[in-house]
Amino acid sequence: MIFRLSAAVLAGRIASWLCRVRGFRGSSMPGLVARKADPDSLRKLAAQVRKGTIVVSGTNGKTTTANMITGVLGDAGYKVVSNREGANMIGGVTSSFVMSSGIDGKIDCDYAVIEIDEASMPGVLKEITPGVVVLTNFFRDQLDRYWELDKVIGVIRDSLREQKNVVMVLNADDPLVAQFGKTTGLPAFFYGLAGTEHSRKTSTQMREARFCPFCGADLNYDFYHYGQLGTYNCLKCSFERPKPRVEALDAGVNGEANECRLFFDRREVSLSIQVQGLYNLYNALAAFSACLQLGIDVKTILKSLNNYQPVTGRMEKFSYKEKNVYLSLVKNPIGFSEVLAALCAAKGSKDVLIAVNDNDADGKDISWLWDVDFEMLASDHRPIRKLICSGVRGEEMALRLKYAGVPVEKIVVNRDLKVAVKNALNGSAGGAYLFSTYTALWNVHKIVKQLADKEDADAQHLSSVS
Amino acid sequence: MLSICHLYPDLLNLYGDRGNIMAFHKRCLWRKIPVKTKCVSLGEDVDFSEHDFVLLGGGSDREQNLISSDLMKRRDNLQEAIENGLVVLAICGGYQLLGGYYLTREGESIPGLDILDFYTQAGDRRMVGNIAVEVELGGRPVQVVGFENHSGQTFLGGIRSLGKVLSGNGNNGRDGLEGARYKNVFCSYLHGPLLPKNNRLTDALISLALRRRGLNYQLKSLDDDFEDQARGVMFKRMGIKVK
Ligand SMILES: [Zn+2]
Repeated sequence: MIFRLSAAVLAGRIASWLCRVRGFRGSSMPGLVARKADPDSLRKLAAQVRKGTIVVSGTNGKTTTANMITGVLGDAGYKVVSNREGANMIGGVTSSFVMSSGIDGKIDCDYAVIEIDEASMPGVLKEITPGVVVLTNFFRDQLDRYWELDKVIGVIRDSLREQKNVVMVLNADDPLVAQFGKTTGLPAFFYGLAGTEHSRKTSTQMREARFCPFCGADLNYDFYHYGQLGTYNCLKCSFERPKPRVEALDAGVNGEANECRLFFDRREVSLSIQVQGLYNLYNALAAFSACLQLGIDVKTILKSLNNYQPVTGRMEKFSYKEKNVYLSLVKNPIGFSEVLAALCAAKGSKDVLIAVNDNDADGKDISWLWDVDFEMLASDHRPIRKLICSGVRGEEMALRLKYAGVPVEKIVVNRDLKVAVKNALNGSAGGAYLFSTYTALWNVHKIVKQLADKEDADAQHLSSVS
Repeated sequence: MLSICHLYPDLLNLYGDRGNIMAFHKRCLWRKIPVKTKCVSLGEDVDFSEHDFVLLGGGSDREQNLISSDLMKRRDNLQEAIENGLVVLAICGGYQLLGGYYLTREGESIPGLDILDFYTQAGDRRMVGNIAVEVELGGRPVQVVGFENHSGQTFLGGIRSLGKVLSGNGNNGRDGLEGARYKNVFCSYLHGPLLPKNNRLTDALISLALRRRGLNYQLKSLDDDFEDQARGVMFKRMGIKVK
């Protein structure tokens, strides 16, 4: 049996090597190959984790949240296995274990932190036994790729009901997530963001959860943060936003930092992260709560979160000719609207690149772009110098911006991605924001990195001469 | 003042349907035609005869059931307005709803509003993908492009189609027809933002709405460079020659 597992690990490793040699980013391939050699490989490898497995799922923020938790556990001195690159279906999850395993099929780790695609939750949870399950939020993703949201929520609920000894870390502000506290019968730990006088009293982007998940009556909202996240209560039954154990107050932007005060267990601390966007503060709240549940020292958690560096395309920061360049993956209306809100909140002038592809992994239907609130770019377009549209559907993106009310003189279509990125980086504005759908992301990333590195090298060259 | 009625925007808002409202609204504004948009949700008062353009979009099953029972109560008012020339754009589920009935896979017949002569039956495969259609507008053929995603197969009775399929599936993937047309009602499976890219269709709807008000004038032409490009890319990909 051990022999079969080690053969599977070896096969997976060879597959990984072959992928790299051929230049593929085949992060799910090693896992799929290992599963062919030994269908039980994930179960056997995952069972060796010493202290516990943390699973993160939900529509937006799972990669960032999982990476934040991984960072904290690493800083606390633990050995951690994780699927850092966001290969979050069963093949990718298996890959991360295979790549951390010795050829003998032995894994030396304290924790595993695994992000799982919503639709893959039932399958993966049959093979791994988490101690903590974090759910971030539920929004509709591209519809030609996923089933209806109700069905997704239903299968996750059913798969969790079969778990024992799990503590769920749930977003209290999302009724679709908070309902899991009641529907699964598992112990729940809630986190949330308190409403303030600045919070929105109305929402233009309410797409889900208008109705109570228990009785179907209308939900009443006191505050909205974004999407259906806010402070709510059912007008008919007792369902309401659960009282969070970890609650953030006074969330605000301070220069590059995102800050808030955190209240938990009758304590108060301040949390600060160096990543933009209110949605990233939510991710930090989720990570903080999960680590608190694991018993990690609070100071260590806060320090680690403050040092967190975003991975590829999650408000990843570059610098080019003394200007800050941010790269963000965009994949659904709420997520895109939230990175736009972060862009609008940032000070200074900006050049913007939006790259839209319509390959399988992007979603072939790009209708969702019309549900993104680009109108906020139009309502105060003065800080925006140029909006450069690229990707195979760059023309449609330009059209969307025109109908959002952005002055057409500011809209440019550069079909060639390299030209588009250069155009954004060399623009006259003080900062550049690059947004990309999935299949253009790595290309944009590569181009930016080359330009930034080259500029770095040129600068060093100059200084050594002078 | 033209009045746009956006039906159930809070429920039918996941395929970018509001792009259609934006296109109609903006293309009126750009020509200085006064226009306002009214959103109508479940149970709210509406008299269709007071409006000039009605958009009925598509949603998931749950939403479709909610709006179906709500619209049933307003059926006679809607039918009267349609007979009197109300301009309507009905998409996907909204399209199916205007017909006689929907036949489920189990053989159950769910009644529609029965305003237009067609029926829909559940199909065994989803028809998903880019689609191009040739539509006759003002006596000339106009190519229209969009995205379809439906499993229902629609068969027309005594009414004409919106157009013929150049690439894609259309009403049922068999008879080469797409959508339906009756008086000033336009039905289509091209979901989401159909009007922004297909500006000639949008302008045709605006002209019809104006004409119904007795305003018979030629629409001022606009700079449609972005529209032409966005459409052109898709025609090129589908290998369709633009006339
Ligand atoms: Zn209720």
